Amino acid sequence: MELSRVEIITNNSKIESLRNALGRFGISGMTVFQVLGCGVQMGTREYEVEQRTEPTLLPKDMVMLVLPTKEVPDFLKFVSEELYTGHIGDGKIFVSQVTNVLRVRTGEEGYEALLLKE
Amino acid sequence: MNEKKLGLPSVIATGIGLIVATSCLLSLGIGSSAIGLTFIISMIIACVINILFALSVSELNTLMPNLTGGLAQYTLACCGPFITIVVMVGGYLFCNTLVGSAECAMFGNTIASVFPEINIPASIYCIFLLVLLIMVNLNGVDMFAKIQNIVAYSLIVSLFILAILGTIKANPATIVTQPAVLSSNFKDITSLCGLAFFLFIGVEYIIPISNQVKNARKKVPLGMVLSLVIVLVMQIFMVLGFHNYTPWGALGESTTPHVLYGTLLLGPIGTYWMAIVSILAVTSSINTVISALAYISSGMAKINLLPAAFMKTNKKGAPYVGILASGGIMIVINALGLSTSEELSFLILTGCVFWMIAYIVTHVNVMILRKRLPKAPRAFKVPGGLTIPIIGIIGIAWMIYNISSDIEVRLQIYKLCLIVFAILAVYAYIWVKKIMKVKLFKAFPVSKVMAMENDWYHVYHNPGKIRLNIEGVEPNNKK
Repeated sequence: MELSRVEIITNNSKIESLRNALGRFGISGMTVFQVLGCGVQMGTREYEVEQRTEPTLLPKDMVMLVLPTKEVPDFLKFVSEELYTGHIGDGKIFVSQVTNVLRVRTGEEGYEALLLKE
Repeated sequence: MNEKKLGLPSVIATGIGLIVATSCLLSLGIGSSAIGLTFIISMIIACVINILFALSVSELNTLMPNLTGGLAQYTLACCGPFITIVVMVGGYLFCNTLVGSAECAMFGNTIASVFPEINIPASIYCIFLLVLLIMVNLNGVDMFAKIQNIVAYSLIVSLFILAILGTIKANPATIVTQPAVLSSNFKDITSLCGLAFFLFIGVEYIIPISNQVKNARKKVPLGMVLSLVIVLVMQIFMVLGFHNYTPWGALGESTTPHVLYGTLLLGPIGTYWMAIVSILAVTSSINTVISALAYISSGMAKINLLPAAFMKTNKKGAPYVGILASGGIMIVINALGLSTSEELSFLILTGCVFWMIAYIVTHVNVMILRKRLPKAPRAFKVPGGLTIPIIGIIGIAWMIYNISSDIEVRLQIYKLCLIVFAILAVYAYIWVKKIMKVKLFKAFPVSKVMAMENDWYHVYHNPGKIRLNIEGVEPNNKK
């Protein structure tokens, strides 16, 4: 089964509601990073008058998870609706292919390595 | 993070409370007396058209959530400042003032009908009430904040009880025998759709509470639709009750049909029951209208669509310019005299036309954003592509065309609307060109309209010009 990695970068304030929502979607495993970064606005806040000319790094959270590629479209729709506020800073989602996953304890590979087993 | 507390019953309760006003009962009486039970068909058509609007406004709310200005901000992001000022700021404020004046007239009429022996014109009671409420609002006191819902719900529950008692002929002693249908001509039925539309107007007021609703994406649209359907059912029972207890002629002439109906159904108990409940409801409604219009004007001034004077607050924190303007206009309208049901009906229908145009623009907004942001996440999307907004536009336009069966009244309504729109267009042209200095029909980006909602936007964009009550320090990452 093909697997994809989804990386969601979003506002810190959204992380708790996103975590709960991911649980509702059926996601059981995720990794969250606290990061610094900026997008095309170079860190300009939505209420500021002038666009910043040098990148200003803002605190963000990044959620990384892996799921079957066939579930990605529904997952992206779900997460987009969850994160959407209409304001600048709602976030970005990156999707990439995963060539393999290895569970260290059992040596299982691929999708098997992501499943909960006794 | 704010905890979301409201469930579907709260959304429905709020919706019904906001849609039903005492002046709706006047429209119900006038419509029923004109064609009899077939007015129910006009009501069903008007309700369906309002449900289509509710769906459109729900989609806009999911695309641009938690906006305080509502319809105006959607329009600013879709049609640009000129149309926003003419239709959503001027027109919307104007029609709310007209409808508020009609509601106020119901206060005077109710007192005059309960105490006919006191020889004071009904308009004097209205003016007294308005002056009192202006002073209360200027003092920054919302004396109805705690009892507003109780008052609104007591009116609705009372109406439901009376409507069902009338429908089942609970009091056989005073039953009236009269034809059920006065006209089944389709043209007569459609010409009353405009009047019937007023019975369901105002569902958009649910939007401001949507950020407190659990699972708002489903419950807000569902709550809006169910509110409209429940109001329809209640009013159908009311019409059936009218048929059993109030002669059609007397119903059409009465300026307080609910009091008349209560009297004929239950005698003096019915009179006082309906009078007390409706006086409380009217007072709290007008208080809300004065306060809401002042705050909406202040919000519009904040996004530079109205003069900055509307943002000014007195020592008590009340936006006094808006309070004095809206209350003052209502005093003038009531002083000019609203003593007959024809005058009140004219005022309501004129207000309705402005309101309907605002609803048409809202449907257009949905279509524009579907084209401009086709892939933006929509937690709620009106089903069937553009079909529902298009049917909604055609339906409302058709109701505006049939706003009154009397051609002379219809022309007078159109004339008044054109005059008001012409004045607003001149104001909007000068304001957009000279003050805002932007293109008339160039829509603002959605992100900019959303940013304008942030109080810090005004601190940065209007330094020293606006005194805002922002707590705490500038957020590092507040959006």
